[in-house]
Order: sequence, then structure tokens, then C-alpha cells
Amino acid sequence: MRQIRALFARLAGVFTKNRADDDLKEELQSHLEMETAEYLRRGMTPEEARRQALLASGGLTRAVEAVRDRRGLPWLESIGTDLRYALRTLRRNPTFTTVVVFTLALGVGANTAIFSVVRGVLLKPLPHRDGSRLIYLRQSTDGPGGANVSFSVPEVTDIRAGAPALGDIAEYSAWSVTLQGEKDAVKMDAGLVTGNFFEIMGLAPVLGRLTRPADDGPGVPPVMVLTHEYWMRRFGGDSSIVGRTVRTDGGPVTVIGVLQPAPYFPDPVDAFFNMVISPHHLSAFMVQGRTHRMTEMIARLAPGASVQQARTEVSGVYARMQRDHPDAYDPGSHYRVAVLPFKDAIAERARLTLWLLMGAAAFVMIIAAANVANLTLMRGVRREPELVARAALGAGVARLRRLLLAENLVLTVFGALFGVGIAIFGVRLLTAFAARYSPRANEIQLDATVLGFTLALSLTLALLLSFIASLPKEGHLAGAIAAGGHRASGSLRKQRLQRGLVVAQVAVSVVLLAGAGLLTRTMIRLAAVDTGLQTESVLTMQVSLLNVARALSDPQADVAAKEGYDRIRTEIRALPGVTEVGVGSPMPLQSSGVRFDVKAEGRAPTPGAAMPNAELRTANPEYFRAAGIPLLRGREFAATDRATSGMVVIINQTLADRLFPGADPVGQRIAWTGDVLRFTPISGDWRTVVGVVGNTRDGGLDAELRSVVFMPFTQMLAMGGGLVIRTGGNPAALVTPATRIVHSVAPEAPIEQVMTIAQIKEQSISPRRLNAVLISSFGILALIIAAVGIAGVLAFSVSARTNEIGIRMSLGADRGRVQRMILGEGGVLLALGLVLGVAGAWFASGLIRGLLFGVAPHDPATLAAVAGLMAAIGVLACWIPARRASRIDPVITMRAL
Amino acid sequence: MDVQQGTLALMILRTLDVLGSLHGYGIARRIEETSKHRLTLNYGTLYPALLKLEQEGFVSTEWRQSDNNRRAKYYALTAAGKKQLVRETREWQQTAELIAAFLASPREAP
Repeated sequence: MRQIRALFARLAGVFTKNRADDDLKEELQSHLEMETAEYLRRGMTPEEARRQALLASGGLTRAVEAVRDRRGLPWLESIGTDLRYALRTLRRNPTFTTVVVFTLALGVGANTAIFSVVRGVLLKPLPHRDGSRLIYLRQSTDGPGGANVSFSVPEVTDIRAGAPALGDIAEYSAWSVTLQGEKDAVKMDAGLVTGNFFEIMGLAPVLGRLTRPADDGPGVPPVMVLTHEYWMRRFGGDSSIVGRTVRTDGGPVTVIGVLQPAPYFPDPVDAFFNMVISPHHLSAFMVQGRTHRMTEMIARLAPGASVQQARTEVSGVYARMQRDHPDAYDPGSHYRVAVLPFKDAIAERARLTLWLLMGAAAFVMIIAAANVANLTLMRGVRREPELVARAALGAGVARLRRLLLAENLVLTVFGALFGVGIAIFGVRLLTAFAARYSPRANEIQLDATVLGFTLALSLTLALLLSFIASLPKEGHLAGAIAAGGHRASGSLRKQRLQRGLVVAQVAVSVVLLAGAGLLTRTMIRLAAVDTGLQTESVLTMQVSLLNVARALSDPQADVAAKEGYDRIRTEIRALPGVTEVGVGSPMPLQSSGVRFDVKAEGRAPTPGAAMPNAELRTANPEYFRAAGIPLLRGREFAATDRATSGMVVIINQTLADRLFPGADPVGQRIAWTGDVLRFTPISGDWRTVVGVVGNTRDGGLDAELRSVVFMPFTQMLAMGGGLVIRTGGNPAALVTPATRIVHSVAPEAPIEQVMTIAQIKEQSISPRRLNAVLISSFGILALIIAAVGIAGVLAFSVSARTNEIGIRMSLGADRGRVQRMILGEGGVLLALGLVLGVAGAWFASGLIRGLLFGVAPHDPATLAAVAGLMAAIGVLACWIPARRASRIDPVITMRAL
Repeated sequence: MDVQQGTLALMILRTLDVLGSLHGYGIARRIEETSKHRLTLNYGTLYPALLKLEQEGFVSTEWRQSDNNRRAKYYALTAAGKKQLVRETREWQQTAELIAAFLASPREAP
């Protein structure tokens, strides 16, 4: 207690120094006078009395010093002095200060921004209660569309019974529900969930309640839980929505609550429903069909169970399932199941990209720190005389170190401040970027932890910088003073360190540039991919006139929907500039995800290979011409291909090659096949191939080419239909008139995905472009910093060797020779850096293989170009100091000796 | 003879307890006299000790006129200071007794 009180008194003493000093002086003065008076009283002369009094005092100044030490906190005051001194010194070297602060700001800014993204998306614990115990299961097969085939209800039931380590399992099924508003209708991405879903996910409502086991099964009222995001977006955060009943295409549904903010997975979702909203989900098809896979599984590990245990149990039960139901697991497709921690599954897509960025940012930081270290070293050599003088005047090594530390602290703290400024801007940019890869992008923020990271980074750097500088040693002062302090020595050790740093900078720059080069080429390759369409002046829009529920319950609904599409088509066709309008599903370059096994008449499937499968698409006669899909053989659909006429199909080139290698498919017959057809309105009848069309890149420019079967729009339910509008002019200009026509014909139909072909293409290019741009900026930054580094070190070397060069020149070396000498000095560093850099790039580019498209990770052309660029910039950076060296006037230097 | 570390505070507290509020010169004179001039206190020893006591809250200070009409800073014992004096006196006596007993113990025969 009394120590604390004394500490506060002393702390206060730091700030009340002047007043206290006056007070003390007055007190001592009065003491002195009283003592003098006493001596006078004893009969001394005034002079003698005063002398004796002073003698007894033991020295006034000493007393004042002693009291001052006791009064304030001396170390605090001396740090203040050091900082003030540091600021003054740095102000006197504006170029040095600016370069260092700017370099650090870039390094710190990039790292802070990217670290906050990495933390928000990859590292932070999930918002779910005990989120680390959540497990995601994924079933996949070989071939396109096989990455995630999800599970059927019987499969879920088997795994639930056979894997007790998984505790309980929640079911989630992605669905689409149309919400009828006052005037319009919107499609909602829905998740149909079992009653235990939220309990297992560990999520809580912010309003109302969530679904519970009592909401399962048939005969219960349909209920709906809004996600936090959709509640804000669609209902403006209106809390009176809870308890209200809304109209949907599945009938009236009561809103029971709003979910806490949480990342969606695996698909974006607007609202959760209990299964009763979709009679299909409760039908025997769904509940008993082993191949009817449309359910995702999320489990919470049982208390005490480990992921490894769960994996063992699941693989055991999965092997048994495959044994018991051989018809449901085609051996050629290699059915398999993965048991993943939910947190990893959710971060899967973002991980590689984000670690790449983090790595690149760390590299920039290394280069920046190396540059600052070099500048500090050089400056250290220049101020050797100053430090020697200070040491000679009694400053200990610790005191000098503290002085350097104060300077470096000032530098790094300023760097960090500007860096955080850059980061605030960068985080905003990166959040939009990360949202393409991760549902957790909204969790990204520059918070205390991130700022703590920045602070730690800056302090570490300041410490490092303060300790690489060598200080005059006590006991070796004589030599240093004798050297006169004119000698800008730069001991061999320091020079070696500086050169090492330059080599590292060049090497790291090469690695970054190689990454940038590969990603840029990826983007260019991707943009150059042939979509398979012969035109880009096309507008597409998804217009749903028919939904599953109505299609299944009312056969007339399909007929009405088809009439509706026809009317819309005719009216849009009449708009000025429109050259063709097609109707079909899905839109060109999009993927429907609806795939079934397919067989050709009279041809047995290859034994052991995966059963051929194809994506089901529908098209009307004008669809191909409107979308610009080339007809390679046979004919397009015709008005004569009706629901009642002979069943026909058009296949794409990939499927033609697969089913009829070396033969003309036109006139052959194919059929859908597989157990799963039982659960669909699609028959397995033979259908005659009437035409073959070119391949198109559906589902992304980097997607594999897939087999496709087009069925006539008239011979299939009109679900998921859309319009393909081709124009002679700008397709974007058609958005307004086309939307108006759709609204006038079908006021309640939701319109979605209104996009031009160029926009669809852009969707798959833009994330790569941002990747390329980010890494390229880091690369260019590194290049600039490295060039400054080389030039700086050589310039320093030249200035340190001015005398030597002067002597050489007076002994007959010409300018060219001197220039070559300096160039050679830099060239060695550059060459070493290039060799190390190319080796590093060779290794590092293998790590980003997954982000590349159309270019090999060890692409020699990219590596050569990058090395060439670095060499060119490096030589330029060497040439400037070399030229300066050759301009040295021997006469002037010799005089200065 | 220089004053021993730690004992000066006790001497000051005791002085103020006996004589009431007093200025620095008075305290110094009193301690020197009590010690029969075996102790001399220079300013560099006395004033930091006074400041420390003030920071710890054991003495309070006040500027006022002295008896012979000089302005001087007077120190006075606070309530906490009185308690501290009792405590330190007891501790010091115990230590002194202990040391005395220790030094008085006879040398044992080898």
C-alpha cells in the first residue's frame, strides 16, 4: 500500500518538477540561513559562518540531485529524453526517415490487413458453441459433379446407427422456396433441416425460437427461421416479423425466429424450414431411396470422442453399406466418404489463396525489414564518430543501445501507424475478395488481437534493428578515438551482413515475381478460354414460372408455364434489336447440377469404368441459335418435337465421343438410367439423338468439359426455365424492357441471374484477376524495394571507398574500369540472389499448383521472364552508383586524404 | 559517523513525535544533538529521507514563519506516521535485543 502511494507520488513528481525544484531550493536556502545565523550567534565572522554552513550542507547541488532522484521516476524521464532526442535526430535526416517509415508502413499495412483476413476466415473459433467439435461428412465420386454428391436418408440412418463417435447427426437439404411479397415474388435459398439441427450446430436465436425435434415429421405446422443476414436485408431487422405468417409456394409458413449471425455452409442460405414445407422430403422416395442423395450431414462429436475415432467408425459402416447395397455404389465411380472438422470444411476454398497472400505479405515484410536494416547499418557506420564521442563522455553500452532502441522505436511506431492506415483501407478491399471464398468474410475485422499482432511485429523489428548495429566497446575506446572518427569504416562483418541482406532481397523478390507471373498467366489463359459460344452479345435471365411443388401436384401447371414462356418469348422477340430468343434450362455457361447415368442402345458400358453420366438440360428450338451454341451434326429441335411426338435429344460433343467413339451418333438411341430415376419425373425410355452440338464451358471457365444431354423443352417439365436473348447491340440495354415484359405476363414469377454472357465469364475470371493483381503488386513492391536496396548498398560502398578509388584512378585506372569494378561488385550479389530466387520459386510454385490454370507451376517461360526482369532492374540499380564512382575526381580525393 | 540506512527515518519520526512540527534545520540539529554530535547530517541525506516519508504519507508539510521570523517548511507527524513510529520502534527494539543477545552469547570451548 505504502509503496503504491509512494509510486503515485513519484509519478506525480515527474510532472510537477519545476515547482518542486523551486520549493526545494527555497527550503535548502532557509536551512542554510538558519545554520549561518547559528554560527554567527556563536561569534563567527559572517564569511566564516557562511563557509561553515556550506561545508556542513555537503553541497547544495548534490542535495538537489539526490532529492530529484527520489522525487520523480528517473528512468521514465530518461526514456522521455531519449525519445525526444530520437525525434530530433530523425527530423534532421528526413530522407532516411521517410524511406524507412514508408517501407515499414507498406510491410506492416500488407501484413496487418492480410492477417486480419486470415484470422477472421481461418483462425478464429467458429461462432458455434464448441464449434471445434462439429463434423462435416462429404460423399464424393470420380468424375465431373462428383466432388460432393451428398447423402440419401437411408445412408444417414446407417451412419447414425454405425458411428456412435459422431454423437447425433443433423440433416440439411438445400432447397428453394419462393416468398410471395405484396407485389413481387422472390426466391429464397432455403435449408430444410431436421429439428435437432440448431442444437447440434450450437446456434442460438437472436429473436423467437429455432426449430426443435417437435417440428419434425408430417402433420406439423410449417415454420421458418430467418438467417440474421436475410432478416436485415429483406425485413430491415424488423422484430415484429417473428410470429407473422408469410405466403410461400409451399403454402403459408409461420416465422418463428431469427438465427444469430453465423457462416452458412455449404450453400448460402436465407432461411431454414422444417421438412414439412416440402412433401417430397417426407415421401417414401426420399426416406427410403438409397440413391436419392440430397441431404448434407453435420454431426457433433460425442463427449470424449475424437475425429480419428469417428473416421474409423464411419469407414467401417460405409464399407458395410457398400457391401449390402452394391447397386447403389457403382464401383467405377469410386464412392467415398470424408469426415472433416466443420471448421476445416468451411475454410477449404479460402485456405490456399489466403496462405498464399499471407506468405507474399510476409515476404514483402522480410524485404522491407532487410532494407530498413541495411539503411540502419549504413547510418550506423556514418554515426560511428558520434557514438564514440558519447561513449568517451561516459555513456555505457546499455545507454547507447537504449538510444538506438528509442530511435528505432520511433521509426517502427510511425511505420506501424501509417501501416494500420493502409490496413484499414486494405481490409475493406480484402473482405469483398474473401467473400468469394469463404462464408466467414463478415467475421473479418481489425480488432485488438490484430492490432496486437501489428504492435508485436513493430516492437520485434525495433529490437532487431537496435541489436544488429555494433557499438563502440568499453575498453576499446582509445583505438576508436585515435582513428579520428573520419573513417567511414563499415567493418567487414557489417558489409557481409549488408550484402547478405541484398542477396536475400533479390531472391525473395524473384520468388514473389514468379508467383505473380504464374497467376497473371493463369488469368490471361482463363480469359482466353473458348466458352464454346459463338457470340457474347447475349442477355440471360432465370425466370421461374413453375416450381417443384406445383409441378408435382398439378399437371396443368406445367402446360400453363410453357404457354407463359411462349408468350414472354414472342413479346421479347419483338423488342427492337433482339435477333433471337431461346427458352431452356439452365442458362448457357451455367451448370444445372442435375446429372444422371446414361446408356447407349446396343453398347455395353465399359466394365470397371465409371458409368457414363450426363447433365440434363432443356432447350427449345431457338435456344442454340440464341446462345450461339454451334450445331455440329444433325438438326436442332423443331416445332414438331412435341410432348406427344417421338422422344428426341441433342447431345454435346463430349458425350458423343464418350458413347459413340468414331461413329455418327445421329439416329442412335440413348436412355437415362440408374436407380435414382425412380424419384424423378424422368422416364428411362429410349430417346433418339437428332443432333450434336459443340461443347460449352458450363459452371466456370476452368471447369472440365462435361457430357450434356439436351431434351426438348416440350418433352420435359418446365422447371428452372430461363430466357436467352440475343441482340445485335448491347445486351445490357435489354434488361429493363425484358424484365417489364416478364412482369406483365407473370407478375409473381421471381427473376434471377440477369446477366450478360460477358458477366458470366467475368464471374469466373475476376477472383483470379484479383489474385493476380494482389500478388503482382506485392511482387512489384518487392522489386522496387530490392532495387533501392542494391543501389543503396553499392552507393554506400562507393562512398566508403572514395579514397581507394581516387588512388586507383590516379594510378591509371580509367573510368570504364572503375565502373566495371562497381558493377561487378553489384553483379555478384545480383547473380547470387537470382540463383537462390529461381530455386526458391521452383519450390514455392509447386505449393500454389491448385490456384493455376493452363500454366505449369514450373513454367520455364515465366521463370525466365521473371529472372530477366529482376536482372535488368538490378543492373540498372548497380549502374547508378557505378556511374557515380567513375565520376570521382582523383585530385579532389587525394587532397582530402 | 554517517547515519545508517533505514535508521534515519525512525530518528526523524521520533524527533517529530517528541518536538512536534519542525523544519529541516531543526530536525537535523536535534538528531545531531541527541547523538552527541556523533552523527552529522548533510542535506543530501536528510532531504531525500524527508521526501520519502512525505511520499509514504507519514509526514505532512507546511510553509510558515519560524520563531525568528523566517519562512521555513515545517514537517509534522500524520496519524499514519504515528502508527509507523510505534511499529518501527518495536521492530527496532526487537532487532536490538536479538543482536545484543547474540553478541552476548559466550564463546564455546573448542
